[in-house]
Amino acid sequence: MLSIGLLIQNTFWAAIAALGFAVLFNVPYRALIGCMACGALGYFVRTIATELLGSYIGISTLLAAISIGFLGLVFARYWKMPAMIFSISGAIPLVPGVFAYQTMLGIIQIADLQAETNPTLLVSTSANAINTAFILSAIALGIITPKLIFMRNKPIV
Amino acid sequence: METIHHAPRIGENNSTAKTLDHETLTEIIRLSLWAGQLLLQYGAPSQTVEETVHHIGTGLGCTWMDITVLTNSITVTAITVGDFRTKVRRVVKIGVNMQVICDVNDLSRRIDAHQLNTQEVYSELRFISDKASNYQPEVVIILVGLACAAFSRLFGGDLTTFFVTFASASLAMFVRQTLTKQFLNTLVIVFLTALTAGIGASTVHFLGISSEIALTSSVLLLVPGVPLINAAEDLIEGHIETGMSRGLSGALTALVLALGLISAMHLMKVSL
Repeated sequence: MLSIGLLIQNTFWAAIAALGFAVLFNVPYRALIGCMACGALGYFVRTIATELLGSYIGISTLLAAISIGFLGLVFARYWKMPAMIFSISGAIPLVPGVFAYQTMLGIIQIADLQAETNPTLLVSTSANAINTAFILSAIALGIITPKLIFMRNKPIV
Repeated sequence: METIHHAPRIGENNSTAKTLDHETLTEIIRLSLWAGQLLLQYGAPSQTVEETVHHIGTGLGCTWMDITVLTNSITVTAITVGDFRTKVRRVVKIGVNMQVICDVNDLSRRIDAHQLNTQEVYSELRFISDKASNYQPEVVIILVGLACAAFSRLFGGDLTTFFVTFASASLAMFVRQTLTKQFLNTLVIVFLTALTAGIGASTVHFLGISSEIALTSSVLLLVPGVPLINAAEDLIEGHIETGMSRGLSGALTALVLALGLISAMHLMKVSL
Protein backbone atom coordinates (compact mmCIF):
# COMPACT_ATOMS: atom_id res chain seq x y z
CA MET A 1 0.00 0.00 0.00
CA LEU A 2 1.13 3.49 -0.80
CA SER A 3 2.39 5.53 2.10
CA ILE A 4 2.38 9.31 1.90
CA GLY A 5 5.88 9.63 3.36
CA LEU A 6 7.37 7.29 0.79
CA LEU A 7 5.52 9.03 -2.02
CA ILE A 8 6.90 12.44 -1.01
CA GLN A 9 10.38 10.98 -0.60
CA ASN A 10 10.29 9.30 -3.99
CA THR A 11 8.92 12.42 -5.67
CA PHE A 12 11.92 14.28 -4.26
CA TRP A 13 14.33 11.65 -5.63
CA ALA A 14 12.63 11.81 -9.02
CA ALA A 15 13.27 15.57 -9.05
CA ILE A 16 16.94 14.94 -8.22
CA ALA A 17 17.16 12.39 -11.04
CA ALA A 18 15.64 14.91 -13.46
CA LEU A 19 18.14 17.53 -12.24
CA GLY A 20 21.11 15.22 -12.91
CA PHE A 21 19.95 14.49 -16.42
CA ALA A 22 19.11 18.16 -17.07
CA VAL A 23 22.71 19.02 -16.20
CA LEU A 24 23.95 16.19 -18.44
CA PHE A 25 21.85 17.68 -21.27
CA ASN A 26 23.31 21.15 -20.65
CA VAL A 27 19.97 22.79 -19.93
CA PRO A 28 20.14 26.59 -19.36
CA TYR A 29 20.53 27.48 -15.64
CA ARG A 30 17.19 29.16 -15.23
CA ALA A 31 15.35 26.14 -16.69
CA LEU A 32 16.75 23.70 -14.11
CA ILE A 33 14.00 24.27 -11.55
CA GLY A 34 11.39 23.71 -14.26
CA CYS A 35 13.00 20.40 -15.23
CA MET A 36 12.96 19.30 -11.59
CA ALA A 37 9.29 20.23 -11.27
CA CYS A 38 8.43 18.25 -14.42
CA GLY A 39 10.37 15.23 -13.15
CA ALA A 40 8.63 15.36 -9.77
CA LEU A 41 5.17 15.82 -11.27
CA GLY A 42 5.63 12.96 -13.72
CA TYR A 43 6.74 10.51 -11.07
CA PHE A 44 4.00 11.67 -8.68
CA VAL A 45 1.24 11.22 -11.25
CA ARG A 46 2.55 7.83 -12.35
CA THR A 47 2.78 6.53 -8.79
CA ILE A 48 -0.71 7.78 -7.94
CA ALA A 49 -2.14 6.22 -11.11
CA THR A 50 -0.36 2.90 -10.61
CA GLU A 51 -0.87 2.50 -6.87
CA LEU A 52 -4.24 4.12 -6.24
CA LEU A 53 -6.07 3.58 -9.52
CA GLY A 54 -4.24 0.31 -10.20
CA SER A 55 -3.75 1.06 -13.88
CA TYR A 56 -1.27 -0.70 -16.16
CA ILE A 57 2.14 1.01 -16.12
CA GLY A 58 1.79 2.05 -19.77
CA ILE A 59 -1.46 3.91 -19.08
CA SER A 60 -0.17 5.58 -15.93
CA THR A 61 3.00 6.62 -17.80
CA LEU A 62 0.80 8.15 -20.48
CA LEU A 63 -1.07 10.16 -17.82
CA ALA A 64 2.23 11.23 -16.27
CA ALA A 65 3.70 12.23 -19.63
CA ILE A 66 0.61 14.25 -20.54
CA SER A 67 0.88 16.19 -17.28
CA ILE A 68 4.60 16.75 -17.93
CA GLY A 69 3.75 17.97 -21.42
CA PHE A 70 1.26 20.54 -20.14
CA LEU A 71 3.52 21.73 -17.30
CA GLY A 72 6.38 21.98 -19.83
CA LEU A 73 4.19 24.12 -22.06
CA VAL A 74 3.39 26.47 -19.16
CA PHE A 75 7.10 26.81 -18.35
CA ALA A 76 7.92 27.26 -22.03
CA ARG A 77 5.52 30.21 -22.27
CA TYR A 78 6.83 31.67 -19.01
CA TRP A 79 10.56 31.35 -19.73
CA LYS A 80 10.28 31.73 -23.54
CA MET A 81 12.09 28.45 -24.24
CA PRO A 82 11.17 25.35 -26.22
CA ALA A 83 8.87 23.08 -24.19
CA MET A 84 11.08 20.13 -25.14
CA ILE A 85 13.77 21.29 -22.69
CA PHE A 86 11.45 20.77 -19.73
CA SER A 87 9.52 17.78 -20.96
CA ILE A 88 12.49 15.63 -22.07
CA SER A 89 14.45 16.15 -18.85
CA GLY A 90 11.27 15.68 -16.83
CA ALA A 91 10.40 12.46 -18.66
CA ILE A 92 13.78 10.84 -17.97
CA PRO A 93 12.68 9.38 -14.58
CA LEU A 94 9.83 7.67 -16.48
CA VAL A 95 12.07 6.10 -19.15
CA PRO A 96 11.87 2.31 -18.75
CA GLY A 97 15.64 1.92 -18.42
CA VAL A 98 15.24 -1.20 -16.32
CA PHE A 99 12.81 -2.85 -18.74
CA ALA A 100 15.03 -1.89 -21.70
CA TYR A 101 18.19 -3.37 -20.39
CA GLN A 102 16.52 -6.38 -18.79
CA THR A 103 15.21 -7.10 -22.29
CA MET A 104 18.77 -6.98 -23.56
CA LEU A 105 20.02 -9.12 -20.65
CA GLY A 106 17.27 -11.60 -21.48
CA ILE A 107 18.21 -11.69 -25.16
CA ILE A 108 21.82 -12.40 -24.25
CA GLN A 109 20.72 -15.16 -21.88
CA ILE A 110 18.43 -16.65 -24.54
CA ALA A 111 21.44 -16.85 -26.87
CA ASP A 112 23.06 -18.97 -24.15
CA LEU A 113 19.93 -21.04 -23.56
CA GLN A 114 20.40 -24.56 -22.27
CA ALA A 115 17.91 -27.35 -21.65
CA GLU A 116 17.80 -26.77 -17.91
CA THR A 117 17.26 -23.00 -18.24
CA ASN A 118 14.01 -21.71 -16.91
CA PRO A 119 11.62 -21.59 -19.91
CA THR A 120 9.87 -18.50 -18.52
CA LEU A 121 12.90 -16.53 -19.71
CA LEU A 122 11.40 -16.23 -23.20
CA VAL A 123 8.10 -14.99 -21.81
CA SER A 124 9.64 -12.50 -19.38
CA THR A 125 12.00 -11.15 -22.04
CA SER A 126 9.14 -10.63 -24.50
CA ALA A 127 7.08 -8.97 -21.79
CA ASN A 128 9.98 -6.66 -20.95
CA ALA A 129 10.43 -5.75 -24.62
CA ILE A 130 6.72 -5.01 -25.06
CA ASN A 131 6.61 -2.96 -21.86
CA THR A 132 9.64 -0.96 -22.99
CA ALA A 133 7.98 -0.17 -26.31
CA PHE A 134 4.63 0.72 -24.70
CA ILE A 135 6.11 2.96 -22.02
CA LEU A 136 8.37 4.77 -24.50
CA SER A 137 5.49 5.41 -26.90
CA ALA A 138 3.39 6.58 -23.96
CA ILE A 139 6.11 9.06 -22.92
CA ALA A 140 6.53 10.43 -26.43
CA LEU A 141 2.80 10.59 -27.12
CA GLY A 142 2.17 12.21 -23.74
CA ILE A 143 4.77 14.95 -23.98
CA ILE A 144 3.73 15.95 -27.49
CA THR A 145 0.00 15.92 -26.65
CA PRO A 146 -0.10 19.70 -25.91
CA LYS A 147 1.64 20.30 -29.23
CA LEU A 148 -0.86 18.08 -31.04
CA ILE A 149 -3.74 19.94 -29.40
CA PHE A 150 -2.60 23.57 -29.46
CA MET A 151 -0.16 23.83 -32.37
CA ARG A 152 -2.03 22.47 -35.33
CA ASN A 153 -0.12 24.41 -37.96
CA LYS A 154 -0.68 23.92 -41.61
CA PRO A 155 2.17 21.60 -42.65
CA ILE A 156 5.14 23.50 -44.04
CA VAL A 157 5.91 20.88 -46.64
CA MET B 1 8.71 21.35 -29.09
CA GLU B 2 7.13 24.73 -29.08
CA THR B 3 7.41 26.72 -32.27
CA ILE B 4 4.99 29.60 -32.25
CA HIS B 5 5.60 30.51 -35.89
CA HIS B 6 2.70 29.99 -38.19
CA ALA B 7 3.39 28.22 -41.42
CA PRO B 8 3.45 30.64 -44.35
CA ARG B 9 1.37 29.67 -47.32
CA ILE B 10 2.70 29.79 -50.86
CA GLY B 11 2.07 33.24 -52.24
CA GLU B 12 1.32 34.76 -48.85
CA ASN B 13 4.40 37.01 -48.88
CA ASN B 14 4.14 37.86 -52.56
CA SER B 15 3.97 41.58 -51.88
CA THR B 16 7.37 41.45 -50.18
CA ALA B 17 8.90 38.61 -52.21
CA LYS B 18 11.76 39.75 -54.38
CA THR B 19 14.24 37.82 -56.44
CA LEU B 20 17.45 37.10 -54.53
CA ASP B 21 20.74 36.90 -56.38
CA HIS B 22 22.71 33.69 -56.45
CA GLU B 23 25.19 34.77 -53.75
CA THR B 24 22.45 35.71 -51.28
CA LEU B 25 20.73 32.39 -51.94
CA THR B 26 24.03 30.59 -51.25
CA GLU B 27 24.47 32.51 -48.00
CA ILE B 28 20.90 31.78 -46.83
CA ILE B 29 21.20 28.09 -47.58
CA ARG B 30 24.51 27.96 -45.72
CA LEU B 31 23.09 29.65 -42.63
CA SER B 32 19.87 27.65 -42.50
CA LEU B 33 21.78 24.37 -42.97
CA TRP B 34 24.14 25.37 -40.19
CA ALA B 35 21.22 25.96 -37.84
CA GLY B 36 19.67 22.64 -38.90
CA GLN B 37 22.96 20.84 -38.35
CA LEU B 38 23.24 22.25 -34.81
CA LEU B 39 19.71 21.08 -33.99
CA LEU B 40 20.15 17.60 -35.46
CA GLN B 41 23.53 16.90 -33.89
CA TYR B 42 22.39 18.03 -30.45
CA GLY B 43 19.25 15.92 -30.32
CA ALA B 44 16.20 17.78 -31.68
CA PRO B 45 13.29 15.81 -33.18
CA SER B 46 13.08 15.79 -37.00
CA GLN B 47 9.96 17.93 -37.10
CA THR B 48 11.71 20.68 -35.14
CA VAL B 49 14.74 20.61 -37.44
CA GLU B 50 12.52 20.83 -40.50
CA GLU B 51 10.37 23.68 -39.19
CA THR B 52 13.30 25.71 -37.89
CA VAL B 53 15.30 25.44 -41.12
CA HIS B 54 12.19 26.42 -43.06
CA HIS B 55 11.54 29.49 -40.90
CA ILE B 56 15.16 30.66 -41.04
CA GLY B 57 15.23 30.35 -44.83
CA THR B 58 11.93 32.10 -45.47
CA GLY B 59 12.65 34.66 -42.76
CA LEU B 60 15.88 35.62 -44.54
CA GLY B 61 14.00 36.20 -47.81
CA CYS B 62 13.52 32.92 -49.66
CA THR B 63 10.13 32.27 -51.18
CA TRP B 64 10.12 28.65 -50.07
CA MET B 65 12.34 26.00 -48.51
CA ASP B 66 12.15 22.23 -49.02
CA ILE B 67 13.90 20.17 -46.36
CA THR B 68 14.67 16.48 -46.06
CA VAL B 69 15.89 15.42 -42.64
CA LEU B 70 17.64 12.07 -42.46
CA THR B 71 19.39 10.53 -39.46
CA ASN B 72 22.84 11.75 -40.47
CA SER B 73 22.23 14.43 -43.06
CA ILE B 74 20.01 17.34 -44.04
CA THR B 75 19.18 18.32 -47.62
CA VAL B 76 17.77 21.76 -48.32
CA THR B 77 16.49 23.40 -51.46
CA ALA B 78 16.13 27.18 -51.16
CA ILE B 79 13.77 28.71 -53.68
CA THR B 80 13.46 32.30 -54.81
CA VAL B 81 11.52 33.73 -57.72
CA GLY B 82 13.03 32.16 -60.83
CA ASP B 83 15.98 30.46 -59.13
CA PHE B 84 16.83 27.74 -56.61
CA ARG B 85 19.82 26.09 -54.96
CA THR B 86 20.20 22.71 -53.23
CA LYS B 87 22.79 21.63 -50.71
CA VAL B 88 23.44 18.55 -48.59
CA ARG B 89 25.01 18.77 -45.14
CA ARG B 90 26.42 15.71 -43.43
CA VAL B 91 25.69 15.72 -39.70
CA VAL B 92 27.48 13.73 -37.02
CA LYS B 93 25.56 13.08 -33.81
CA ILE B 94 27.42 14.42 -30.81
CA GLY B 95 25.08 14.27 -27.87
CA VAL B 96 22.32 16.23 -26.25
CA ASN B 97 22.73 19.95 -25.70
CA MET B 98 19.53 21.76 -24.76
CA GLN B 99 21.25 25.16 -24.57
CA VAL B 100 22.01 25.01 -28.30
CA ILE B 101 18.46 23.89 -29.13
CA CYS B 102 17.09 26.73 -27.02
CA ASP B 103 19.38 29.33 -28.65
CA VAL B 104 18.70 28.19 -32.22
CA ASN B 105 14.95 28.22 -31.54
CA ASP B 106 15.22 31.76 -30.20
CA LEU B 107 17.31 32.80 -33.23
CA SER B 108 14.74 31.38 -35.65
CA ARG B 109 11.97 33.35 -33.93
CA ARG B 110 13.91 36.59 -34.32
CA ILE B 111 14.71 35.82 -37.95
CA ASP B 112 11.06 35.03 -38.56
CA ALA B 113 10.17 38.47 -37.20
CA HIS B 114 12.69 39.94 -39.73
CA GLN B 115 14.88 41.39 -36.99
CA LEU B 116 18.21 40.08 -38.33
CA ASN B 117 20.18 40.19 -41.58
CA THR B 118 22.46 37.41 -42.87
CA GLN B 119 25.61 38.92 -41.33
CA GLU B 120 24.01 39.08 -37.88
CA VAL B 121 22.67 35.53 -38.24
CA TYR B 122 26.18 34.37 -39.10
CA SER B 123 27.70 35.90 -35.97
CA GLU B 124 24.84 34.58 -33.79
CA LEU B 125 25.37 31.04 -35.12
CA ARG B 126 29.12 31.33 -34.59
CA PHE B 127 28.45 32.44 -31.02
CA ILE B 128 26.05 29.53 -30.38
CA SER B 129 28.47 26.99 -31.86
CA ASP B 130 31.44 28.22 -29.83
CA LYS B 131 29.59 28.56 -26.53
CA ALA B 132 31.18 26.52 -23.75
CA SER B 133 29.10 24.09 -21.72
CA ASN B 134 27.04 25.63 -18.90
CA TYR B 135 28.37 23.21 -16.32
CA GLN B 136 31.87 22.24 -15.28
CA PRO B 137 32.69 18.55 -15.96
CA GLU B 138 33.07 17.97 -12.19
CA VAL B 139 29.58 19.35 -11.53
CA VAL B 140 28.17 17.05 -14.22
CA ILE B 141 29.97 14.04 -12.69
CA ILE B 142 28.59 14.73 -9.22
CA LEU B 143 25.02 15.50 -10.31
CA VAL B 144 24.83 12.52 -12.68
CA GLY B 145 26.12 10.30 -9.88
CA LEU B 146 23.47 11.78 -7.61
CA ALA B 147 20.77 11.17 -10.25
CA CYS B 148 21.69 7.47 -10.49
CA ALA B 149 21.80 7.25 -6.69
CA ALA B 150 18.33 8.85 -6.66
CA PHE B 151 17.15 6.06 -8.98
CA SER B 152 18.47 3.50 -6.51
CA ARG B 153 16.20 5.08 -3.87
CA LEU B 154 13.27 4.93 -6.31
CA PHE B 155 13.93 1.20 -6.79
CA GLY B 156 13.88 0.74 -3.03
CA GLY B 157 17.60 0.55 -2.27
CA ASP B 158 19.03 1.18 1.20
CA LEU B 159 21.55 3.83 2.21
CA THR B 160 24.67 1.70 1.46
CA THR B 161 23.33 1.00 -2.02
CA PHE B 162 22.73 4.74 -2.41
CA PHE B 163 26.35 5.64 -1.68
CA VAL B 164 27.85 2.79 -3.72
CA THR B 165 25.63 3.74 -6.66
CA PHE B 166 26.66 7.37 -6.29
CA ALA B 167 30.36 6.45 -6.33
CA SER B 168 30.19 3.96 -9.20
CA ALA B 169 27.94 6.14 -11.38
CA SER B 170 30.20 9.16 -10.80
CA LEU B 171 33.25 7.07 -11.69
CA ALA B 172 31.46 5.79 -14.80
CA MET B 173 30.57 9.36 -15.81
CA PHE B 174 34.22 10.34 -15.39
CA VAL B 175 35.28 7.43 -17.61
CA ARG B 176 32.67 8.45 -20.18
CA GLN B 177 33.88 12.06 -20.27
CA THR B 178 37.52 11.01 -20.52
CA LEU B 179 36.89 8.53 -23.33
CA THR B 180 34.66 10.98 -25.23
CA LYS B 181 37.64 13.34 -25.46
CA GLN B 182 39.64 10.53 -27.13
CA PHE B 183 37.16 10.32 -30.07
CA LEU B 184 36.45 6.66 -29.36
CA ASN B 185 33.49 5.01 -31.06
CA THR B 186 30.29 5.76 -29.12
CA LEU B 187 29.37 2.12 -28.60
CA VAL B 188 32.86 1.31 -27.30
CA ILE B 189 32.48 4.19 -24.83
CA VAL B 190 29.09 2.84 -23.73
CA PHE B 191 30.58 -0.63 -23.23
CA LEU B 192 33.55 0.58 -21.20
CA THR B 193 31.39 2.94 -19.13
CA ALA B 194 28.88 0.18 -18.35
CA LEU B 195 31.81 -2.10 -17.45
CA THR B 196 33.14 0.50 -15.01
CA ALA B 197 29.73 1.12 -13.48
CA GLY B 198 29.11 -2.62 -13.18
CA ILE B 199 32.44 -3.31 -11.49
CA GLY B 200 31.90 -0.39 -9.12
CA ALA B 201 28.35 -1.43 -8.24
CA SER B 202 29.34 -5.07 -7.70
CA THR B 203 31.31 -4.06 -4.60
CA VAL B 204 27.96 -3.78 -2.80
CA HIS B 205 27.76 -7.58 -3.06
CA PHE B 206 30.82 -7.92 -0.84
CA LEU B 207 29.15 -5.74 1.79
CA GLY B 208 26.52 -8.44 2.03
CA ILE B 209 23.72 -6.61 0.21
CA SER B 210 21.92 -7.74 -2.94
CA SER B 211 23.70 -6.02 -5.83
CA GLU B 212 20.71 -5.95 -8.19
CA ILE B 213 19.54 -2.41 -7.39
CA ALA B 214 23.06 -0.94 -7.40
CA LEU B 215 23.87 -2.62 -10.73
CA THR B 216 20.61 -1.50 -12.28
CA SER B 217 20.76 2.12 -11.17
CA SER B 218 24.44 2.89 -11.72
CA VAL B 219 24.22 2.22 -15.47
CA LEU B 220 21.14 4.42 -15.91
CA LEU B 221 23.32 7.35 -16.95
CA LEU B 222 23.85 5.45 -20.21
CA VAL B 223 20.22 4.67 -20.98
CA PRO B 224 19.50 6.26 -24.38
CA GLY B 225 16.46 8.22 -23.18
CA VAL B 226 16.61 11.08 -25.66
CA PRO B 227 17.16 8.97 -28.82
CA LEU B 228 14.33 6.66 -27.78
CA ILE B 229 11.88 9.47 -26.91
CA ASN B 230 12.83 11.27 -30.15
CA ALA B 231 12.37 8.02 -32.08
CA ALA B 232 8.83 7.62 -30.80
CA GLU B 233 8.08 11.32 -31.37
CA ASP B 234 9.39 11.10 -34.96
CA LEU B 235 7.23 8.05 -35.61
CA ILE B 236 4.13 9.79 -34.21
CA GLU B 237 4.79 12.88 -36.32
CA GLY B 238 5.25 10.86 -39.50
CA HIS B 239 9.05 10.88 -39.83
CA ILE B 240 9.19 7.11 -40.13
CA GLU B 241 12.77 6.82 -41.47
CA THR B 242 14.43 8.90 -38.76
CA GLY B 243 12.17 7.32 -36.15
CA MET B 244 13.18 3.81 -37.13
CA SER B 245 16.88 4.57 -37.27
CA ARG B 246 16.90 6.48 -33.98
CA GLY B 247 15.02 3.63 -32.36
CA LEU B 248 17.51 1.13 -33.73
CA SER B 249 20.50 3.11 -32.52
CA GLY B 250 18.87 3.46 -29.09
CA ALA B 251 18.26 -0.29 -28.96
CA LEU B 252 21.87 -0.93 -29.98
CA THR B 253 23.09 1.32 -27.16
CA ALA B 254 20.92 -0.59 -24.68
CA LEU B 255 22.31 -3.91 -26.00
CA VAL B 256 25.93 -2.79 -25.66
CA LEU B 257 25.10 -1.43 -22.19
CA ALA B 258 23.80 -4.86 -21.18
CA LEU B 259 26.90 -6.52 -22.64
CA GLY B 260 29.14 -4.24 -20.57
CA LEU B 261 27.13 -4.96 -17.46
CA ILE B 262 27.19 -8.74 -18.02
CA SER B 263 30.95 -8.63 -18.57
CA ALA B 264 31.35 -6.76 -15.29
CA MET B 265 29.15 -9.30 -13.48
CA HIS B 266 31.23 -12.17 -14.88
CA LEU B 267 34.46 -10.46 -13.89
CA MET B 268 33.23 -9.82 -10.36
CA LYS B 269 31.45 -13.22 -10.12
CA VAL B 270 28.17 -11.56 -9.17
CA SER B 271 24.74 -12.58 -10.36
CA LEU B 272 21.54 -10.53 -10.46
